[in-house]
Amino acid sequence: MNATLLAELSGLFGILVILSALYMQGQSFVDPTIRAISFQSFAISALFVVLYFQSGDIDLVYLAVITSVVRGILIPRVMLFQVRNFKHSLRETGTGQRIPSLIIVGIIFVIGGYAIFRSVLLPASIDPLASVPFALLLLSFLLIFTRRNALMQMTGFLEEENAVLYAGALIAPSIPLLVEFAVVLDVLGVVLVGVILSASRDVFLTLEPPELKELSG
Amino acid sequence: MDQIILFAVLLGAPAAGAAVSLLPRDGIELVASVAAAATTVAVSTLVLLLGTSGVFGYFYADGLTRIMVVTISAVFLTSVGYSAFYIKRIKEPFMRFRWYYSLVDLFTFTMLLAVTVNDFGFVWIAIEATTVTSALLVALERERTSIEAAWRYTLIVSAGLVASLLSVILLYYSQGSLAISQLLEKSPSSDLLMALAVGFALVGYGTKAGIAPMHAWLPDAHSEAPSPVSAMFSGILLPTSIYALVRTFELLRGSAVFSQMQALLIGFGVFTALLAAVIMSSQRNYKRMLAYSSMENMGVILVGFALGGIGAIGAVIQVMSHAFGKSSAFYEAGNILVAYDSKSMAEVQGVAKRLRLSGYLFTLSCLCVTGAPPFGVFVGEFMILAQAMSVGNTTLVILLAVAYMYAFIGLNRQSIRMIYGESSAAGQDGGRPAPQPENWASVAIPLANLTVSLVIGMYMLPAVLHAASGFGL
Repeated sequence: MNATLLAELSGLFGILVILSALYMQGQSFVDPTIRAISFQSFAISALFVVLYFQSGDIDLVYLAVITSVVRGILIPRVMLFQVRNFKHSLRETGTGQRIPSLIIVGIIFVIGGYAIFRSVLLPASIDPLASVPFALLLLSFLLIFTRRNALMQMTGFLEEENAVLYAGALIAPSIPLLVEFAVVLDVLGVVLVGVILSASRDVFLTLEPPELKELSG
Repeated sequence: MDQIILFAVLLGAPAAGAAVSLLPRDGIELVASVAAAATTVAVSTLVLLLGTSGVFGYFYADGLTRIMVVTISAVFLTSVGYSAFYIKRIKEPFMRFRWYYSLVDLFTFTMLLAVTVNDFGFVWIAIEATTVTSALLVALERERTSIEAAWRYTLIVSAGLVASLLSVILLYYSQGSLAISQLLEKSPSSDLLMALAVGFALVGYGTKAGIAPMHAWLPDAHSEAPSPVSAMFSGILLPTSIYALVRTFELLRGSAVFSQMQALLIGFGVFTALLAAVIMSSQRNYKRMLAYSSMENMGVILVGFALGGIGAIGAVIQVMSHAFGKSSAFYEAGNILVAYDSKSMAEVQGVAKRLRLSGYLFTLSCLCVTGAPPFGVFVGEFMILAQAMSVGNTTLVILLAVAYMYAFIGLNRQSIRMIYGESSAAGQDGGRPAPQPENWASVAIPLANLTVSLVIGMYMLPAVLHAASGFGL
């Protein structure tokens, strides 16, 4: 395939990944956030296919298939199933007023992440798009640390992993076996999370457990 | 070839134990787990005695590996044995006991894999798998706090470990290989990338090892997990994560950024030790207090490994003796919890009058893990301090000494008050609680662990005297 077209496709998917991350920052509803992480995983899978055409490494195609099946379909389905079990947890409480500030902080993270990456971490040594996973990593931390809903935090964790998958494929494309293992471990992880959340439903009747004074200090 | 078989049996035994534990026959889970644990202890002792080192297929062993496998196997065995006594008291367990034993076996398998495999990628996979296999163990008692602790543990540790995956990727990008044996032999080729890899490893594996400020999961999980699992977390899981971090850091030796990253690791280690020592003394929950003590020990151990020289030897001694001493403390805490049904120190007073042996052993365990001579932790801490003195880092010596003293006073003051304080509950003989008969296994197992820690200390005491003579002491 044409090298210019591949580079443009790679840029397009990078932008889609960042836009999906900013969309998640602006959500207080759980359902669309899960759908957004599914979309983001598909975008990253598509990027792996583009990278395959650039490098010819067939492992990237396997990685794309595993990522789209596990992180694009399976895990979001399990999470949406949990949402149905917790109807009253469809919208995170207390996040509404903070959404505009979170979006602004998210945009600052994207610009700041690009600046730090290009000027400090890896100055001009590799593709400028390599700063996208770094910005995505910062956005995922923002999502994890600013949310109280367990499924929102889980979405942040998946986004963090997406960032590392993206970085791995971009800067070390010959390491997909390790990354494939990471994705497969997610299947076990999501079973585990499902079990803990089910227990949480029985005990707390919500996905936003209160601050327990026994667990402070 | 023979030595590969040793590793195969070492890893195969807990894996087989996990599978057999799930068979639908009453009592088979305990037999299978004890058999698996006894096998791992026998094989790891053989590995230690043979001085196995080098590359064996997918495995790599050196002195650190040998110490780690022996420690992991021994704490595995005692925790399985103690579980037989402890978990019976759980009225509504989160899962069937056969699943509990199976997960304990798998948890051990993942830790043994992490310290024996010759590939940084598989070390990461194994440590990530320790979270998957152990998270449900935290929730075993099915209480509000244990479920919340399990969730926090899963989320915080998994989020942190993603950073160490990035570390592995950077390692591969900069060195072109992930084989531990190869990378240890060659000089790092890209200083900046290697420094970044160590930095991400510090965040990732440091989260799992309870290094501050990434430690938020640790006090919750340790205090809410059943006591045998708390013992495994504190005694062997935290050092396994430190092992992964130290292996990554070792690669920097000889590079231009070594001293900067060494300072970074020492800084995080000292900060962890000081923070934990301060927080420890204000705890109201005795299991939480022990958790902060583990954090303090991990901070000191990290400093020892970062310093190198006799500091690294001290760190290895401390890893071993802390594992035995702290597991003993958690087993005793389990005995106290069974008798009092409370983790609050305010409600647990005068333990020595009610549980005589457990009370005494708890006091001794607390002394052991806070570096009282002649236990092994004392030897380890002294050697780390001696290394800091020998490199002329006065600030570090002062900060370490403050952390040691604060931890010693904080933990022992609280434990002595709890064990020998006046009991508020009246006993059958009018005012004094009647002594309770104690299950022999619940006392013999922690006593055995404490004895091992003492033997390590006595055996290594000449090394301390030698180090002390170097400073004119």
